Amino acid sequence: MIRVVVGGAIRKDDIAKMVQEIGGEKVEVKVMTDLQAALAIQSNQADYYIGACHTGGGGALSMAIALLTIVKCATVSMPGRPPKEEEIIQAVAAGKVAFGFTGDHMEAALPIIMREILAK
Amino acid sequence: MNIMLMAVIGALAAIMANKGIAVFNDGLRPIMPEHIEGRMSRKELAATAFAMSFGLVIGFGIPFSLAASIILIHCILLGTDIIGASSPDGKKGVIISGVIGALYGIGILLGLESVVKAFELLPVNFMGSLGQVGAPIVIAFAAFPALATGYQYGAKKGVLNLAVSVIARQIAIVAGSIQMGSATIKLNPEGTALIVGMVILLVFAMQEKTEDETVDLVSIFEERVKRIKKNIPYLMVMGGLVAAATASGLMAGDPISLNLMKEGQLMDAGFAALARGIGFIPLVASTAIATGVYGPVGMTFVFAVGLFVHNPLLAGLLGAATIGLEVLLLGQIAHFLDKFPGIRKSGDNIRMAMSQLLEVALLVGGMNAANAIAPGIGFFVVVGLYILNDIAGKPVVRMAVGPIAAILVGVLVNVLAVVGLFTV
Repeated sequence: MIRVVVGGAIRKDDIAKMVQEIGGEKVEVKVMTDLQAALAIQSNQADYYIGACHTGGGGALSMAIALLTIVKCATVSMPGRPPKEEEIIQAVAAGKVAFGFTGDHMEAALPIIMREILAK
Repeated sequence: MNIMLMAVIGALAAIMANKGIAVFNDGLRPIMPEHIEGRMSRKELAATAFAMSFGLVIGFGIPFSLAASIILIHCILLGTDIIGASSPDGKKGVIISGVIGALYGIGILLGLESVVKAFELLPVNFMGSLGQVGAPIVIAFAAFPALATGYQYGAKKGVLNLAVSVIARQIAIVAGSIQMGSATIKLNPEGTALIVGMVILLVFAMQEKTEDETVDLVSIFEERVKRIKKNIPYLMVMGGLVAAATASGLMAGDPISLNLMKEGQLMDAGFAALARGIGFIPLVASTAIATGVYGPVGMTFVFAVGLFVHNPLLAGLLGAATIGLEVLLLGQIAHFLDKFPGIRKSGDNIRMAMSQLLEVALLVGGMNAANAIAPGIGFFVVVGLYILNDIAGKPVVRMAVGPIAAILVGVLVNVLAVVGLFTV
């Protein structure tokens, strides 16, 4: 069972729904505030953090970066810079556990992130 | 005067970004401590800042500024983020970032002015029609509190809020003139609708109570909060300068108030900036506390100050005081947000509602403007580009497609006119 927490600032319910749809019985999803979600990763109560905001790194990842450091976090899309499959594959392989993207890139980013996480 | 103001704002903002005192891009803020505390090199920081901000300067800041001939703050401060992040550490960095920042500020002002002048010299002058890009926003902006209510509490409550706001707007038109002695005070219709909508949203939001145990953000990041408070003098100067520049009609903080400013509706612009500020409190407060890095314009209330107070000098003083208060009250604001989780959430929803509203309003505005520039071709090109942008994975943020497409249509008809395929 992979435990995913949804933090970030926007489209939280959409993200949670999509994570559950992709992961099915293999994942357990919880929606939290960004701080609680980041703390859940830090205290090992969850495995992966996913969040969205308008810049891909501010509201989406600020708490995760502050608590887990940048080494564990990846911004996979930014405004005007759609997610790149190659970068996501590398990020997951490199052991990053928190992923941020812009709200409008959710449909492009999330399936790749989930595929990589599930394949790991 | 304007050139001086732009130079000083550019220089100070770049120095603040260089020293990690304040950065404008909310996405860059969390990265700053990684460099300050030695986990990330200057080179990586510079690359990240560039990746995060450059696209927004070109694809967001500049098109809006061109369409309205008022500088959108993103043009300046996203650029100074990059300049500050790319300049070296130490005293050398202060000088380098200060000089380049000042030149950048002046460059943006003169550059935009000369592009506008160059457009005016073209065989088909489209600057007049281009102004129509902002026309729908000037009225539609008042709907965003209702939309935020909808995002947070469902479509039903959103419709309810929208209906009450519309009624408030109409009452303000019919019964909005209040006679006071010899003076008549005129209630502003859209401003009234906006305020009523915001009150309804906040009333709903106040009713949400905390269920989970809250985590005390301020105590986890005590050192970082201290760091921001230490930098208060710089932040106050910056806040004052930006408020003064806004009061002078030189710049605006967001596309909505920018377009209202262009139409001379300064009160509406002020209310829109105020409501937007409320939407930014939770984001700026939490990212600032967690990182020890503030924003050069703080929670963006300095823009509202500039719009309400028309005297630049007075606006400057009040703007400085506003940012000072924001920083001093940072801890209290965080505790307040913990107590009222609905308000914290409404911040995200206000920003979401504003960007969705802008996407639609600017697409319609862009289509109208493009069609005024080139009847027929306009609708055709703007709709085509909007959807192609989606197909391409949104390399341009959706809300900027309307203005950019309208500008492109303006350039296109000039090219066509030169080769004889378009007649005025």
